[in-house]
Amino acid sequence: MRSIHLTPRFWVAASLVIFTLLVGLLGPLIIHVDPHATIGGLYDKPSGRSIGMWLGTDNAGQSVISNLVNGVRTSLFIGLVAGAISTVIGLVFGLVAGFQGGILDDILMGVTNIGLAIPSIVVVILLADALNGSTSFTLAMVIGITGWPWTARAVRAQATSIRNREHIDVARLSGARWVSILLWDVLPYLLSYVVMAFVLQMSGAILAEAAISMLGLGASGSVSLGIMLYWSLAWGSVRTGAWWAFLPPTLMLTLIAFSLLLLQSSLDEVFNPRLRRGRSRRRLAAVAAGTQAAVPTAAIVEPVLEGDRS
Amino acid sequence: MTDSPSRAANARTRATGLRLLDAHNLTAAYYTPEGNRVVAVDDVSISINEGEVLGIAGESGCGKSTLGAILSLTAREPLVVEGGTLEVDGKQQRLGPRAKVQRTWRGSVVSLLPQGAMNSISPTMRVRDLVFDVMRAHDRGVKRSEALDRARDRFEELGLPARALDAYPHQLSGGMKQRVVTVISTLLNPRLLIADEPTSALDVSSQKALIDMLLQMLDNKIMSGVVFITHDLPVLRTVSNRIAVMYAGKIAEIGDAEQIASEPRHPYSAALLGSVLVPEPGFRNKRVKGIPGSPPNLLNPPSGCRFHPRCGLAMDVCTKEEPPEVGDVLRFSSCFWTQQNPGTPVPLDRVIPSEEATMVETDRELADQLAGAEEGAR
Amino acid sequence: MDFAKYLGRKAIWYVIALFVALLLNFLLPRLIPGNPVDTIVSQMARGGGASGEQMKAIYAHYMQQFGLDKPMWEQFLVYLGHLAHGNLGTSFSQYPTSVNSLVAQALPWSIAIQLPAILIGWVVGNLIGAVAAYRGGWFDKGAFVGSLFASSMPYYCLAIVLLFVVGVHFGFLPIGGGYSLGLTPNLSPSFFGDAITYWWLPFWSLVIIFVGGQAVGMRSMAIYELGSDYVNYGRGLGLGDGRIVRYIFRNAMLPQITGLALSIGGMIGGALVTELVFSYPGIGTLLFSAISTNDYPLFSSITLLITLAVLAANFCVEIAYGIIDPRIRAAHSGER
Repeated sequence: MRSIHLTPRFWVAASLVIFTLLVGLLGPLIIHVDPHATIGGLYDKPSGRSIGMWLGTDNAGQSVISNLVNGVRTSLFIGLVAGAISTVIGLVFGLVAGFQGGILDDILMGVTNIGLAIPSIVVVILLADALNGSTSFTLAMVIGITGWPWTARAVRAQATSIRNREHIDVARLSGARWVSILLWDVLPYLLSYVVMAFVLQMSGAILAEAAISMLGLGASGSVSLGIMLYWSLAWGSVRTGAWWAFLPPTLMLTLIAFSLLLLQSSLDEVFNPRLRRGRSRRRLAAVAAGTQAAVPTAAIVEPVLEGDRS
Repeated sequence: MTDSPSRAANARTRATGLRLLDAHNLTAAYYTPEGNRVVAVDDVSISINEGEVLGIAGESGCGKSTLGAILSLTAREPLVVEGGTLEVDGKQQRLGPRAKVQRTWRGSVVSLLPQGAMNSISPTMRVRDLVFDVMRAHDRGVKRSEALDRARDRFEELGLPARALDAYPHQLSGGMKQRVVTVISTLLNPRLLIADEPTSALDVSSQKALIDMLLQMLDNKIMSGVVFITHDLPVLRTVSNRIAVMYAGKIAEIGDAEQIASEPRHPYSAALLGSVLVPEPGFRNKRVKGIPGSPPNLLNPPSGCRFHPRCGLAMDVCTKEEPPEVGDVLRFSSCFWTQQNPGTPVPLDRVIPSEEATMVETDRELADQLAGAEEGAR
Repeated sequence: MDFAKYLGRKAIWYVIALFVALLLNFLLPRLIPGNPVDTIVSQMARGGGASGEQMKAIYAHYMQQFGLDKPMWEQFLVYLGHLAHGNLGTSFSQYPTSVNSLVAQALPWSIAIQLPAILIGWVVGNLIGAVAAYRGGWFDKGAFVGSLFASSMPYYCLAIVLLFVVGVHFGFLPIGGGYSLGLTPNLSPSFFGDAITYWWLPFWSLVIIFVGGQAVGMRSMAIYELGSDYVNYGRGLGLGDGRIVRYIFRNAMLPQITGLALSIGGMIGGALVTELVFSYPGIGTLLFSAISTNDYPLFSSITLLITLAVLAANFCVEIAYGIIDPRIRAAHSGER
């Protein structure tokens, strides 16, 4: 086993991610103010009077900083849940399809291709609307079950190539059941890949939640970065120059998205040392370019290239 | 593939005494991402005569593909050619960081026949597009129809279907693709063809077809000489006039193919050839021995003769001084033992002692890294 | 023959995808407990203004239009029948305006900010990415980090920041809407001159993101191709740099062209939130108002429209790919 070289880029990305995690985990414990409590008037300016006023108040007179730290927590929660759901579904579909082949492969990939062709934002909007009055958790579920297809396809391509390796034959000849072959002989090779896919899914889900909330389909009664933006747009904080109401959630979302993407690309370097010389795997690159689009345009991930080259 | 004697005889008649290439003091190094300099070809000089096939043999990581990249003028990052000259037909080409390589030398004076040939043609172009581009690169005025006619004639001359010209690379089988690439490499009648593992990815019958075609091209004077790089020693024996055995970035021995196979003059070539089974009378009684240890860490090569840690014949002097080249430019062995025992084949039994006491600890990882870097440069 | 087979396979999949999309669009809004028309009409009644007679007429109209008294499968057929005639129904919230005319009003605005942003972003982004990959060094490093940042920034976040800094703080450009109050949209130069001042901010907020995304993609694609065998072989054959770069870009461009086609297809739904930020009178704002007023016909028509455009773009890309890239054709008409 070759030792893993952690690049400077990885450390930058990791510290940014850890920072957001700290804000989400510890923030609500330190900023001991109820995000729903009215502590001031409409768009009170930031002041040092109390912790809750550090970033002023929003349109409802609630503490912005308390909403911010709780919103980061919600966004991270949604990202983790949705990312986990879509990664697990994609992984199972991709592994089974790629490893089993045959008719099962055809069916699973057919479903995957349909899932890729239909823009996920539309499905999310429709589902979120149908689940009138959703919670953060149901919203995360909705985002999760619409985000898996590209993971499935990418995993399938990898699994197909692993299927033909010798140690798989050895395992098969020694009478191992296929579930155990999948778990012990195939999955380990995909692990680094899956970790990177999860990171991308997570950032995609966080951005999707924000977009959905801004369209007015957010989880009612909860606090999230998207809902903060929804209210600050609805109440004209940008126009009136109340920067403390909209700038913190905007910057926080940008930070989360950027740090996760940077983490993914640096993990790619760490796991594949050859990339450092400039080579890059097409698939993940394309996906990286498409995550952002996963929210607005859904299927930027190339429809045909996967698996044919690489 | 076993009819080597007759073909070797043919080859010998093809070879003339005229000099085709003199390469002097070739040195090239890889720069690893960590900033280390790994010298993969260290001050190597070789010469080739008109009509000759020079085989280059060695373990992976010994620098043979690097040598091919230098000779075909295709070295690129992370491989850096640090010095040397090529001399073909009295024309000199200096190599090195500041030397400017004339573009037209590539393809018309020296030409590359790459390994694998898998992706040697851009996947979205037809063979004929590449053919035309190659011809035009050396003759701006050439017309498309004229270029394709010439290519078609060449295909027919060598017994390849002309419709292969209209194919995309993925439509050709592995063997056909390799032969098509071979024809493209020699379209401009280069003086010297550098074939880097051209047969490695092929099945046996495709190997034979390719080798027959290469020899036919030599007979037809399409090119004047071939440098044939492979790790496949039986193939090398059938195709080469002379063989150069490389070890750790240097030439251990160079000599006539038959002589190297039967009476090696360098302990390493003896060990290398002793480690392959050759289907010949009596091979069932032969004991096959591997070479103990592995190639040295080129980041920090052994002092003196680079083979001495693995050599049963090593003497004190071998650990201190660079061995001399015993022989002439075309046939020599870099070995102190040979210097002291002129005209005597190396006794294999003594090169690899049975107790393997000379086994050395080597840095496997670095050897891998170098092999990887070499691959990456291709 | 090959190609026909390829096309046939693809067409079947897209027909299935289309069917699934229609089914989702039909079913999901009906999953809500209760009769949607009841909900809507009671809402309208609460809003006041309509008399009992009018309410009854509206109620009957919707029941008939949706065929809510019939079984589900028959409703679906009615739904398909309306769609086949290009009839998207009547809006709830702006009764009796048809959804068709609402969408037709909004669509040009969305296209006006999206299409130029996509095209210009694509060209500039690919140029930057290609040059970065080819030149390497500091230009590459700077361009890469910059593009990565631009492409990872959520597009609505950039929109908000631009609106605040350029529009509000410095006051260079108007801060909301598509044109000045009091004007009516027409094709006169004066209206155009007015509208373009409103156009700049949304356009820039999108184009910067596009440039970043394309540059990152193109750079990695080109670097990948730079390392491939045919580049080395082409050099070994004495081909000029220009010729080899052309090969590289031909291969690197293929996925980028896909990206372009898909972005154009995803255009309608591509920047929903951008329009909200700038109160731009496009599809996104229309969707927003449909959601907030529970206007189901309008709402599901917009989602359907977005889906159809994306599906159509995907299908066109697959056909184009089959024509451009011979390997794809071979791979698909063969075993799978």
